[in-house]
Amino acid sequence: MSWWNFGQKKVKKADFVEAFLLKNQKQIPAIRSLDQLEFTVFDTETTGLSIKDDYILSLGAVKIRDQRILIETVLELYPNSSKSGKKTAAIHGLIERENQIQIRDFAEQSLEYFGNSILVAQHIGFDSEMMQKACRPFGLEKLPNPMIDTMSFAIRLELGPHADQSQVKPEDYGLDALCHRYLIPTEDRHTAAGDAFLTAQLLLKLLKKAQARGIENFGQLIR
Amino acid sequence: MNVIVHRVAEFLKRFPPFSFLSKEVLEKVAGSVEIRYLEKGEILFRQGQAAETHFYILKEGVIILTESIQNQEEIRDECDEGDVFGVLALLGKRPYVLSAKVQENSLVYAIPVSVFEEVLEQNSRVALYFAAGFASGQVVIRQDLSTGQKARGAFKNESRDHSLMIFSDQSEIKFSEKVLICSPEHTIQEAAELMSEKHVGSIVVCRSDLKPLGIITDKDLRNKVVSKGISLETAASKIMSAPILTRRKDTSFSDLYLTMIKNRLHHLVLTEDGTDQSPVCGIISDHDVLLSMGNSPAVLIHGLMNTLDLKEMRLIRDQAEQMLRYYLENELTMDFVASVMTEVNDIIIKQALRIAENSLANEDEVLRKIPYCFLSLGSEGREEQLLRTDQDNALVYEDVPEALDEEAHAYFLKLGTAMVEVLLACGFASCPGDIMASNPKWVQPMSKWKSFFTEWIIRPTEEAILSSTIFFDFRAVAGNLGLGETLSLHIYEEIQKKKIFLNFLAKNALMNPPPLGFFKDFVVEKSGEHKNEFDIKSRAMMPLADLARLLVLSHGVIGVNNTFKRFDRLAELEPNYEALFKQAAKAYEILMRTRALEGLKNQSSGRFIQPESLGKLERQLLKNTFSPINELQTIVKVRFQLDYFPS
Repeated sequence: MSWWNFGQKKVKKADFVEAFLLKNQKQIPAIRSLDQLEFTVFDTETTGLSIKDDYILSLGAVKIRDQRILIETVLELYPNSSKSGKKTAAIHGLIERENQIQIRDFAEQSLEYFGNSILVAQHIGFDSEMMQKACRPFGLEKLPNPMIDTMSFAIRLELGPHADQSQVKPEDYGLDALCHRYLIPTEDRHTAAGDAFLTAQLLLKLLKKAQARGIENFGQLIR
Repeated sequence: MNVIVHRVAEFLKRFPPFSFLSKEVLEKVAGSVEIRYLEKGEILFRQGQAAETHFYILKEGVIILTESIQNQEEIRDECDEGDVFGVLALLGKRPYVLSAKVQENSLVYAIPVSVFEEVLEQNSRVALYFAAGFASGQVVIRQDLSTGQKARGAFKNESRDHSLMIFSDQSEIKFSEKVLICSPEHTIQEAAELMSEKHVGSIVVCRSDLKPLGIITDKDLRNKVVSKGISLETAASKIMSAPILTRRKDTSFSDLYLTMIKNRLHHLVLTEDGTDQSPVCGIISDHDVLLSMGNSPAVLIHGLMNTLDLKEMRLIRDQAEQMLRYYLENELTMDFVASVMTEVNDIIIKQALRIAENSLANEDEVLRKIPYCFLSLGSEGREEQLLRTDQDNALVYEDVPEALDEEAHAYFLKLGTAMVEVLLACGFASCPGDIMASNPKWVQPMSKWKSFFTEWIIRPTEEAILSSTIFFDFRAVAGNLGLGETLSLHIYEEIQKKKIFLNFLAKNALMNPPPLGFFKDFVVEKSGEHKNEFDIKSRAMMPLADLARLLVLSHGVIGVNNTFKRFDRLAELEPNYEALFKQAAKAYEILMRTRALEGLKNQSSGRFIQPESLGKLERQLLKNTFSPINELQTIVKVRFQLDYFPS
């Protein structure tokens, strides 16, 4: 145990976390072609933007396999929380939801759904932190999956792999701007599933663009 | 309704035939959609290609449907938002008559045929919509369609007519009884003159008594004469291919054809008694065959051998599955069906090897020169893999000097992984137990493989016995096949030394209880995803495969991998049980057929069957296949004295 988690309680891993980590042990071969990769495109709706203070209200996700969005795989989960979501309720119109599930079930179902797929989200840094936070009580420290941030991916494809991301205007690469540029009609914005669906359509288009740039396999995709 | 499903449904319901659907049905259809994005210039499907499992509605973009007639592309239709196309997939699963080309970047919603077929059956408005040919590019079928049911029947018959090929009926195959012949003393010049005079591509070289000696084809003239600069005055006998393979004229067509495919013959000579010691009486060329069937194994195999493009390989394998369905529905012998499918699978593996080697062209020459062999295990090893169920495979390479150990292992792991990736791309499912040539554990030098097998044989733990059922059915498919033989020999020697291993194997073969319960009903799964379904693989096929493997091993028979051929062989070896073994062989064939048809019907592995979904006759047929299992298990129990064997 290293110094930084000294004093931090080591949480025993739940069975479903063990199973999830085991599944992720096997790495995806670098030469696997894009067609053979499984992506989970997801989005979380949260009470706010602070990883420390806020929490997840809903998760929306859909899978892409063989470069096809598979509607039969859509997932929407609403974790139950002791704190109420008054804060974002005002923005997103999310008030009391039926079919809320216990946070443990939420963690279990999400991780089972993620499996060893490649996780994709717009600003994935934030969403993956929130997911990790939700799963931490059950012994997950970090999501081991390969990840793609659609924002960085779009920048890489549009401005080249060596583009200086600090020079990029963030508003040009927000989900609204990207959808506008890639001709994706923005319906259902601000619901987790709605945003996940838009992001999935964006990824389909970005993958085609990537292929035209000679990005053919997993190794080239996740550098 | 889920937000995403709702979004898809909202789009669909704006357009016929989806506008005719009730909310519930629409939701079900929307929930099964797959969304694809294609860029300008891409082709969604090609004319002549086997129908896919989906038909399409265009969400955005422009797609043109074209027909090529004598190399001329003609535009038949142009689709934009809301147009439904590619419906031949739905109407009888016929090959496409048009190609779909992307004119402007397009988002396409693919609707599974399996989901929509039900709709078509129940909703007569939808059936009529299709029947009247509203969907873009559809060839209009005009029928009296008062009900949806009727429509479906009509479509079904339609599909019969357009089936892939006709060759259950021997009269369909025309081969010429007039055979062009010459004597061995004729010169090449004279032989060639005869061929061009008669406009044929081959000439059979015969003795004066018409017994065939050899054959000369156009290809021989090209490869052996013109390119080598041989004098045209040379005797024909110098360049003929000899000896030649011959068959009896009245041999069944599937046999004749199989001989041609297996031996890559373009011409097969027929004689009175089937040997080359009797007069020539006919010749069949692959051209004759192609004329009779349009789409055939020969065409598919030829196509496969000439491409290293993954998408194309996958398409051809899909097409082979269409052919498989035809074979099964027409009750062609399982021997023939399994041989053809194995040949197709094997060629894919051989091409995978070439692709993998190409991708490693920059690696060290020393490594690339090490002989190695790709082994198929399990059902593909037994030459029984009809559907693309789990791939089980491994890789063996020749022992290397110790200094090279690590490098060689890393190199072959890369090679094996590349091959497995090709197979995945061709649609073969990944092995859940990870027994694949991409797993470092199953990529090993010869000495390591030998010690694996020795260990399994000497210490037959439960796990070892489980491995044995997969690994002992290995078959060398691509690369240096000699390595496979070396390994086989090692195994048989080890078993001879340690016969008690067979008793353990025997015990394992009796692990699966008889598939019929006390009330003479199917033993179905008690729980889990497949509750109340019958597991045809582990309840019926595995016990038979296990029994066959055990018994041929106990006879020291090498080189017969196929379960029903193993039983046929056993019937020869043990005449007193001939009837039982023959029955077991037949039973296994029926099980293979049933499983493959079930898999094709449900787009699954076909492993789990709902007994009540079977007709009465099918149920009885299936039940009959179980009786040899019981009898054989009893024999094995006595023969290997399992009552006295420590458990």
